[in-house]
Amino acid sequence: MSEWHEYPGGVYKTKEDLYRELKEKREKIMQMGDPKVLEKRREAKQLNARERLEYLFDEGKYTEIGMHIKHRTVHFGMDKAWVPAEGVVTAFGKVNGRWVVSFSEDFSSMAGTFGEYHGKKETYAIQFAMEKGWPVIGINDSGGARLHEGMDTLEAYGWLFRMQDLASGVVPQIALLLGPCLGGQAYHPIMQDFLIQARNTGFMGIAGPAFVKTQIGEDISLEELSGWRAHAVKSGQTHVVAEDEKDAMDKAKELLSFFPSNNREKPPRLKTEDPPDRLIPEIDDIVPDEPFKPFDMKKVIKAIVDDGYFFETLGLFAKHLITGFARFNGRPVGIVANQPMEAAGMLDINASDKGARFIRFCDLFSIPLVTLVDCPGYIIGSQADWAGILRHGAKMLYAWTDATVPLISIIVRKSYAGAHYGMLDKSIGADFVFAWPTARVTIVGAETAASVIFAREIREAEKPEEMKRKRIREYSEIYENPYVGAERGYTDDVIMPHDTRKYINQALDLLENKFVTPGTCPWKVWRKYSNINL
Amino acid sequence: MAQEIIEVPLVGKVLKVNVNSGDKVTEGAEVCTIESMKMENSILTPVSGTVKEVRVSPGQVVKAGETIAIIEY
Repeated sequence: MSEWHEYPGGVYKTKEDLYRELKEKREKIMQMGDPKVLEKRREAKQLNARERLEYLFDEGKYTEIGMHIKHRTVHFGMDKAWVPAEGVVTAFGKVNGRWVVSFSEDFSSMAGTFGEYHGKKETYAIQFAMEKGWPVIGINDSGGARLHEGMDTLEAYGWLFRMQDLASGVVPQIALLLGPCLGGQAYHPIMQDFLIQARNTGFMGIAGPAFVKTQIGEDISLEELSGWRAHAVKSGQTHVVAEDEKDAMDKAKELLSFFPSNNREKPPRLKTEDPPDRLIPEIDDIVPDEPFKPFDMKKVIKAIVDDGYFFETLGLFAKHLITGFARFNGRPVGIVANQPMEAAGMLDINASDKGARFIRFCDLFSIPLVTLVDCPGYIIGSQADWAGILRHGAKMLYAWTDATVPLISIIVRKSYAGAHYGMLDKSIGADFVFAWPTARVTIVGAETAASVIFAREIREAEKPEEMKRKRIREYSEIYENPYVGAERGYTDDVIMPHDTRKYINQALDLLENKFVTPGTCPWKVWRKYSNINL
Repeated sequence: MAQEIIEVPLVGKVLKVNVNSGDKVTEGAEVCTIESMKMENSILTPVSGTVKEVRVSPGQVVKAGETIAIIEY
């Protein structure tokens, strides 16, 4: 229908033809890829790549860039392949009023496979977001790497990983797993800050069942190898499990509301009706009198935060350490707390990894941190020692020391030995430490201490058991309380549980302007970064 | 029938076992208590179902990762 008109300098088309061509090209791309795939997904009640963006962005409005991008490989039938938008829609728009960049992989367009230009689009989206200072929400749903493009695909992955690293800590990056994300398609979400996996349709793994069967002979289903249980429970890589796609996007928005848009801004403060100095008499009774009886730390968290609202991350992994976001007087805060009900609330390898990354994320984005401590120490024994509890445990210490955000610690009950630093104390860098009267802060528990200090006396005593009990009691009376630390000034005050919220809010008010300008921390001598154990 | 393997979370000593093979359990029920690091730890079942087998007994010292019980659901 379009006609070329010739003139000495070449050829041209009329504007009418050009405008019509644009309209046709756009419509063809907007129809997306294989209609059979789109139909199958629709029947399974899943959204397609563009519908997901409409759901994500405010009023369904977004600006797409790179719609016309096309692969340049010609081998293996690629010269005849129709891959609309190169299998990924890159767009920006507003999410709850703030600019956000997103890329949404299109499973109908050559199975959303990652080729050279698919990769370039995602890389550019992240670069664009980093330069503008806007968060990234990646919607992952892909059949994997596009093998037809060989080295081009391989190199493109590298560009993407590099860009993600460069943007890491500059803008928040949230990855949604709404489809298969295997092989290379798993490497890029894992590098982002938070992963939200859809319960029945999101999968992630370094290799899928077929590959695993042929290469190493392991026979396992996709659900078991790469589903939500594999990563939310076992590997500790999925931070939030969503019921379905819309829930995943809702949760991404909820999470984003705690973060600033970039690392030069402070987290957005909301208005709340919950009085900052509200007293909480209900938690006065929560810690049992007997030190060996557990209690639910989540009840304490829900009581002290604004409106009882706590967004937990990695809630199904290393449950003995609780991490998540809440607000105090409208200010987003990261909470790191022991859960005495799970595995004695001790710190082990998984808890250390979980805690350290969470602390560092909060520090990257100026989110204050509050700890609630009831920890008997780091785990001991050959199993833990040989698995490397030392190098993993050290991560928490590095994380706290490197942090320059407001750091507040509430010692609820036990804070023994290494866990005292692992859960944030004055010496490691806390701004404020408040202890409840039930706090027991000491280098080791009385039973161990007395057995060691008075070993000879106990051995040589007429009645060793009685002597041992006497000495344990002596040590316990002198040291297992909050006052020894308070007398030295290592604990700022001993407070009643019902005052906890009031004290935290006052502390946050005082620390409002702690090192607002990045890079102005006075004691930080320049170095690239610390050699944190990894 | 899917199986949920309930594992020891932390090295310790089994204090009491609340279920026997064949018992029906509901999600959140206490399967046993283990004393670890001077704390009493309740081990709860994450699923509702039938206890297929119980592999620990009171007084037994257990390592992290050992199987406590298998629940069929």
